[in-house]
Amino acid sequence: MDAIIVENLHKKFVLHHDRAKSLKRMFTSFKRSPVETYHVLKGINFTVKRGETLAIIGRNGSGKSTMLGMIARIYKPDEGSITVNGRIAPLLELGAGFHPDLSGTENVFLNASILGLKQKEIEKRYDAIVNFSELAAFIDSPIRTYSSGMIARLGFAIAVHTDPDILLVDEVLGVGDASFQEKCENKIRQIKDEGKTIIFVSHSPGAVRSVSTRALWLDSGLVRMDGDVETVLDAYLDTQGTHLENH
Amino acid sequence: MLEELSQLWEYRHLLVNLVARDMKVRYKNSVLGFLWSFIVPLAQVATLTVVFKILMGIKAPNYSAYILCAMIPFNFFSLAVLESTTSILAHASLVKKTYFPREILPASVVIANFIHFALAMGVFLLYLVALRFIFPSNPPPIKVTWLLLPVLMVINFMMVMGISLFLSALNTFYEDVKYMTSVFMGIFFYMLPIIYLMEMVIQKTYNHMRYLPLLKAHYFFNPLCYLITAYRKILMPPFNSEVRDVLVRDIPLNYEYLGIAALISFLIMVAGYAFFNSKKWYFAERM
Repeated sequence: MDAIIVENLHKKFVLHHDRAKSLKRMFTSFKRSPVETYHVLKGINFTVKRGETLAIIGRNGSGKSTMLGMIARIYKPDEGSITVNGRIAPLLELGAGFHPDLSGTENVFLNASILGLKQKEIEKRYDAIVNFSELAAFIDSPIRTYSSGMIARLGFAIAVHTDPDILLVDEVLGVGDASFQEKCENKIRQIKDEGKTIIFVSHSPGAVRSVSTRALWLDSGLVRMDGDVETVLDAYLDTQGTHLENH
Repeated sequence: MLEELSQLWEYRHLLVNLVARDMKVRYKNSVLGFLWSFIVPLAQVATLTVVFKILMGIKAPNYSAYILCAMIPFNFFSLAVLESTTSILAHASLVKKTYFPREILPASVVIANFIHFALAMGVFLLYLVALRFIFPSNPPPIKVTWLLLPVLMVINFMMVMGISLFLSALNTFYEDVKYMTSVFMGIFFYMLPIIYLMEMVIQKTYNHMRYLPLLKAHYFFNPLCYLITAYRKILMPPFNSEVRDVLVRDIPLNYEYLGIAALISFLIMVAGYAFFNSKKWYFAERM
């Protein structure tokens, strides 16, 4: 069974040259001025099997983040289709839904319900989330007293404990200190070993190699190459001129 | 729209949690906390009582209760609409990064405000009962029509929900909406029969018949106007008194007009939701 099927996917964004668009302009310009659009994805096709780990690589502006946003159902396709089977956990911006005045506990419940969990499911996972985040001592304090590292840890802990079928990861592994980073990478590897699907966007060749088996190279909105991680990564790094350090 | 509603049902736990968050956060850092929901309207009414009784010399019995009775629903209307208008932009970081039915953001604001409104109304009823002991000579009676209060509140809720969905979607593209809304709230405060009764205007205007049809249309068929008047009709005794040399005679509650207000409110809710749904996929792209 396929986890994600992307067929001839197109996405255009409207370019804003003048952000201060006002009602005045809406009422004074009766003819709709031609809007300038930016064609980000120009017909993407790929399929991800259940249990596969796919890294999306490419230069800035190649459409990686838009692709991830489309999988996360944040944007709607302009053309083509995208089918996702299973629950998605987006690790796109950790702690985006946290409220500073609420305690850690209250935010766990709020954030997990944003990710689509039901009250009972959250109660069941609560202890595991707190243990993983290593924040048991602070969990009753308001989030505004947390450091940014603590917030990211709690956000990561919630997202990975939603029992996702598909995990979307966007450059967030630089979370907290070295030991917590290792814990995150271990957790992601564990999720991978459980047979879950992982979609991973990164600029770091080392991280791409260590997590994924397959890579998809996006180049100005098109799939330039799709295949085994080593082959695609080597071809990609060759075009970059300078070889990036592999750590 | 059915598909949208089933998505909304999937995410009902998020709606509940967001409402709970709103309720918790609102008065979290204040000492008096929840009491502010009652202190604010009471302070407004105290101010207006001084203005009307002392400065303008209106000597109608229990006039402040008539004001309070309209002020509480209006406060719900204005607070819920103003707050929900900005609710999507306020959660831009969430909308840009996660999927969930976007209508949950304005809806949770409206529901949280509705709960405060219901509590304030409960306290108002207690106040009416307490008046029997404070002024035993001329107390407002306890009426059977108090039972209609939930019906009015549901109509009120539908109207506020529809307007909030419409304005929150529009404000995501044109932030002028936020400013226009607060200007209109200031105008509505005087356009709606809150600090006065619609009978005062209509009966005073018998001398100027030209404007009467217009005013009647406004006070009877504008759902917000009639709703605010209806709260008075069902909760308070008929107002028959002389106010500044004009004899004000009560016009009883007309259930047909109330039905029209209910129908319009329902249509506002459906239209607001349809508009919201037609725009919601563009929120993340525009922010």
